[in-house]
Amino acid sequence: MNIVVAIKHIPSIADDLPVKGNNVDFDSVDFVLNEWDEHSIEQAVLIKESVGGTVTVIGVDLIGELDNALHLALAKGADKVVKITADDPAADSHMQAKWLSEAIKGMGANMVFAGVQASNDLDGQIGPMIAAYLDMPYIGGVSSVEANGDSATVNKEFAGGAGAKYAVSMPFVAGVQSAPKPPRYAPVSKVRQMAQSATVEKVAPSGDADVRERPLRILKMAPPVVTGHAEMIEGSSKEVAAKIVELLKSKGLA
Amino acid sequence: MLTTIEKIIFIVLAITAAGFTFHGFKTIIDSIRKGRPAPELKNIPASLLNAGVKVLFQQTIFKARKVLSAIHMGLFFGLITYAIVNLMDVLEGLVPGFDLVYGGKHIPNAPTGLVNAFNLIADVMSMFLLIAITVFLVRRFIVKDKALTYRDNVLLNPKVKAGGQARDSLTVGVFVIMHVVAHVLSQAYRLTEGADPFMPFASFLNSIFGVSETGVHVAWWVSIGWVMFIVPYLSRSKHTHFFMSPINLGLAKQNPRGQLDTPAKVDPGAKFLHDLSWKRVLDSYACVQCNRCQDVCPANFYGRPLSPSALEVNKRYLLKEATFGSHPDRLLVPLTESVISPEAVWSCTTCYACVRVCPVGNEPMADIVDIRRRMLIDGYEIDSGVQNALQSLATNGNWMSKGKRLRGRWAKEMEFPVKNATEEPVEHLWFVGDTASFDERVIPNTKMVARLFNQGGLDFGIMYQNESNSGNDVRRVGEEGLFEQLVEQNMAAFGKAQFKQIVTTDPHSFNTLKNEYPQFGGTFEVKHYTVTLLKLIEEGKLTIKNKLSNYKVTFHDPCYLGRYNGGFTAPRKLLELLGVEFHEMPRNCENSFCCGAGGGQIWMGKVAPGERPAENRIKEALTTFGEGSNAKTQLFIVTCPKDMIMYSDAVKTTGNEGKIEVRDIIQLVAEAVGIEEPIHAPVAA
Repeated sequence: MNIVVAIKHIPSIADDLPVKGNNVDFDSVDFVLNEWDEHSIEQAVLIKESVGGTVTVIGVDLIGELDNALHLALAKGADKVVKITADDPAADSHMQAKWLSEAIKGMGANMVFAGVQASNDLDGQIGPMIAAYLDMPYIGGVSSVEANGDSATVNKEFAGGAGAKYAVSMPFVAGVQSAPKPPRYAPVSKVRQMAQSATVEKVAPSGDADVRERPLRILKMAPPVVTGHAEMIEGSSKEVAAKIVELLKSKGLA
Repeated sequence: MLTTIEKIIFIVLAITAAGFTFHGFKTIIDSIRKGRPAPELKNIPASLLNAGVKVLFQQTIFKARKVLSAIHMGLFFGLITYAIVNLMDVLEGLVPGFDLVYGGKHIPNAPTGLVNAFNLIADVMSMFLLIAITVFLVRRFIVKDKALTYRDNVLLNPKVKAGGQARDSLTVGVFVIMHVVAHVLSQAYRLTEGADPFMPFASFLNSIFGVSETGVHVAWWVSIGWVMFIVPYLSRSKHTHFFMSPINLGLAKQNPRGQLDTPAKVDPGAKFLHDLSWKRVLDSYACVQCNRCQDVCPANFYGRPLSPSALEVNKRYLLKEATFGSHPDRLLVPLTESVISPEAVWSCTTCYACVRVCPVGNEPMADIVDIRRRMLIDGYEIDSGVQNALQSLATNGNWMSKGKRLRGRWAKEMEFPVKNATEEPVEHLWFVGDTASFDERVIPNTKMVARLFNQGGLDFGIMYQNESNSGNDVRRVGEEGLFEQLVEQNMAAFGKAQFKQIVTTDPHSFNTLKNEYPQFGGTFEVKHYTVTLLKLIEEGKLTIKNKLSNYKVTFHDPCYLGRYNGGFTAPRKLLELLGVEFHEMPRNCENSFCCGAGGGQIWMGKVAPGERPAENRIKEALTTFGEGSNAKTQLFIVTCPKDMIMYSDAVKTTGNEGKIEVRDIIQLVAEAVGIEEPIHAPVAA
């Protein structure tokens, strides 16, 4: 079983996002691995552990710091890691999907996993776009994948707690919502060991021309402006009630 | 006295017994040597001698259970005396005419006074021994003291569960009684000339049983013959304690309490018994399962399946089955299946109470940390809360999933500038810690510390986003790699800063910075903020304007400040200077009871049912205050940000709001000095 996991390095939202010009101030933000990608890595490793095969983790290196995430993937059980050396922190999901699919094309993948979304890709574009470029079927909202021969049994989640079981023939692309088990913890010593011993394969971004002409451009980016706040009415219940009546009257509602 | 045939039988028996005993101890020593290396010990003869003195005066057992300890002391002196008594008995048996009754008057040139003194001591000690052993047997078998049992959820070796230890106790108990009675009888039967005033007990028996040559022989054989069986048996039972505990005490931890042993480079941590260091193997032979550790264990109190003593007894049974029994493969069973359950491993708060109270110098807590280390490496599925904390620590340098840049946000909100120690030189580098930097409930106290430092003219600064979690609890969770990473980050930050000493808010940071960073080249003078505050007051830089006599307070010693680092006096001195009415809880200082947050417990996602240690502690405080007048505000004073959270919560969950309030000592100091939080103008609507 040959599984490829496409990952995204994204600006951390643990801090307030700094804005510069019409984009995020990429110089003063930390980049982290997309949390849904942790689930797709876990899902891939679980399949490998049950039926054998190889797991290749690939991502676009936006700021030259992707190695950490790749070493982490190796520590969790990936066999091979690849980075696409783009060095463009502003590369959007369209561009990344193109570069990723070009690199994945020759890998002979039976399954390609991508996190179903990311904090900078809430509409979950990257998975479907990779599928489109690779001309493979796509299934999103995936909560478990079991490989059996040349097809897979895939559980997909719907809103409202409903779920459905699909038989999907390989090769296909899956947008992973969650792995059946919480992503395993990789001890730092193991990650560091990987950093010392493992090799990260480098690939130049290709298919560049198609996506450089972006149909969408960011005109303006700004932190949300606080427009109002709740007023707390204090006092006894009688006082509070009187205040409410007064307020409603002043708005012409009573 | 003995006939030639008897002498031959005795010598054959003695040689056989010596052989079995030698084999027993050789087996034990071999299995200890199979353990991994431990930190090098310095000046072993001196520490063995020191331990010998402690054993002789039985100092270490009196840390708990004073009455039983006194009885143990009687037993100990009795047995020591009996080592000499047995030697004399052997001489009486083998050397014709060697007879100690009546001051040894049948022996030519015998020192009568000395012999009489010896006879008296031996006789009195015999009675002591009988009383002591009876008390212990009654305690175990008739009163059935709960302290000698384990919770049902504690993992126990099947043989222990089937009563292996009780059988050991009964065997040795019955032996001691028979041995002592037989010895005294063997003397009583010799009193051909009536009572010997120096042998009151033997004389009493003589008055009942009279004189008998056959009696002397039979009693001698019962007394000494038994020894030939019991001594080889001791090495195969929990009573190896007699020999191994003084040795263990002599080889006990020499480095600071707050410094964990560094794990091995290859296959770090412990999966199997011999992955533990040789000292941890030795621990199991020294332990006699008195369960003092279990008594003080907060996890055990909480109903979790952890008993440090069960850990030790399980280790010994595993070794016994593998080395004396025919199951060498037992040592290939993972420790988490044979010695301690995974749930127990993860319920330890690393409070050190078990190690502190252990009379024989055992460190069950060190085993637990080592087992955690290997579980993490082997990919054991850890609690999700702990995992989230560790992941955040690896990416953000704090366990609260906050961005690095938010660490100093509280300082930017202050009414005066707080220096950045990585940008300008300061005298005091304040290592604030995660909870005090990020937790909204604690930040007001952090700001108060800053105000008091500022008011006292202290030249201080913080490291803002350059500070990372100190790693104290990370190391205790067993994540050594992450601990090292955090140390490297902090060392790099310290490298950028110029300072004379470090002051910490969190006792946990204090501990590792003081005791473990030196292992990584960071030798700093580290102080806890209670010490710094006390100094500011004593030097007159902060003046106490208001005496706080309207408060009735008690103080909780945080494990990592108190038990680990002996920081008992500064907080108490502060409280004294503030003029509060102070009440000491029964469990204080070294014997303080953990709040339950340490060793990664505060990160746990799952909360177990049962009365939590912090809840029990709040009740203890209220009992200490008593039912009396409620004219004064009752305060539970803490000096650790984690305690602030744990105990504020416990006051609510025990329904004691309004009766007792949890405050950081800084709040009291601020009130006494007369510093108030500045009132900001409300934000316009």
